Amino acid sequence: MDIFEILSEYREGFLSGLAITIKLCVIVWLSGLVLGSVLGVLGTKWNRFIGLPSRIATFMLSGTPILVFLFWLHYPLQEILRIRIDPFVTASVALSTINIFSVSEIVRSSIADLPTQYIEAAKVCGVPTRDRLIRIELPLIFRHVIGPVLFIQVNVLHMTLFASLISVEEIFRVCQRINAQIYRPIEIYTALALFFLTVSLPLNALAIAFKKKFARDISEK
Amino acid sequence: MIRGQNIHKSFGNKVVLNGIDIEVCPGQVTVVEGPSGSGKTSLLRCLTLLDYPDSGVVEIDDVRYDFPRTNGEAIAPPYPFVTVVFQQLFLWPHLTNRQNISLAAKSRNHQYENKLLDLIEYLDMKDFVDRYPNQSSLGQKQRVALARALILDPKYIFFDEITSALDVEQIKNIISLLLDLKGKGIGIFFITHNLYVADKIADRTLYLNNGKGVIE
Repeated sequence: MDIFEILSEYREGFLSGLAITIKLCVIVWLSGLVLGSVLGVLGTKWNRFIGLPSRIATFMLSGTPILVFLFWLHYPLQEILRIRIDPFVTASVALSTINIFSVSEIVRSSIADLPTQYIEAAKVCGVPTRDRLIRIELPLIFRHVIGPVLFIQVNVLHMTLFASLISVEEIFRVCQRINAQIYRPIEIYTALALFFLTVSLPLNALAIAFKKKFARDISEK
Repeated sequence: MIRGQNIHKSFGNKVVLNGIDIEVCPGQVTVVEGPSGSGKTSLLRCLTLLDYPDSGVVEIDDVRYDFPRTNGEAIAPPYPFVTVVFQQLFLWPHLTNRQNISLAAKSRNHQYENKLLDLIEYLDMKDFVDRYPNQSSLGQKQRVALARALILDPKYIFFDEITSALDVEQIKNIISLLLDLKGKGIGIFFITHNLYVADKIADRTLYLNNGKGVIE
């Protein structure tokens, strides 16, 4: 049995695993990008009440292995609260939390690092506040943020593999199950690697294209 | 006329401006000299209301602002009627030189295109106006910063040490530009370390040292 035969034979399983992985990714990407950006902006505005707690949470999360965090949400927390939550929801919450705080930290630090002199220069040129935000602040912040944020999204895609360890039927778990039945690890995991390459490479290419288009080197030589 | 009277400004325990009086008149050049840290830029920021003095009076064409503000009345920003060319210029790096110049004008005056063309001609910017600031030399960027100020038809322009990194030829060009602007009735406030420049353009000179000012 070669790779294509395996893919054809078990296509339903692969496709359902793929669908779960993509669903998980979309949830984590969207929540991270939207809520992370909002949290980053609010954290800059209300540093004491939102910015500081958000930075502490990011710091704590960055010091906790993803797997430990995922397992902790799945087993002890649910045991303490005496509830049972679908592993897919747990994985979505865990990965979204990580993505939200990572994105918010990038957005917050980009806003904080924006040289105020550019804003001051706009002020003395009489640029109205709305134009200042749309034409100067947002483009400069966007340029700063786009590269690291896209890089994190590629990492998030890879992190979805951990969901298999709490029994989410995503593509890695499907591969494990098929392998347990037919024991063809080379073919199965090569197919899996090809799948991740197929999704990751265009994303990386997109990140590079965005970077080229929007994040032209604007530094002074 | 822009007038500062008895301007005081401190940062913590350090008194930077200690009772400074100064005038900037239309069609005249007021030069401010002094060693580093003597408060030249602080004075510029106070007079243009980018920062507020701790105490004193700033008058901008008969509109009087007393400091400290006790009546809570808001200060109307005087820009771009009063504008500033900063030492580091702060051209917006993601916009081309042309976009830098036109951004402010666009939102204020929809007929700015002719003025932009005149400025490109006047400041000889044709070769680099469509480049980005980081693709332009310092002298070119200075001309862009100047054009960005001039397109707004300001009555007063404040320059913060813009000649500090220029060579002799570029300084001569700046002097001739400043004299031209002065001839057009623009009031100029010019911070410099360069005595040669000060000599060539000043109608009055304020020498700042240890927070005190001496008018020459």
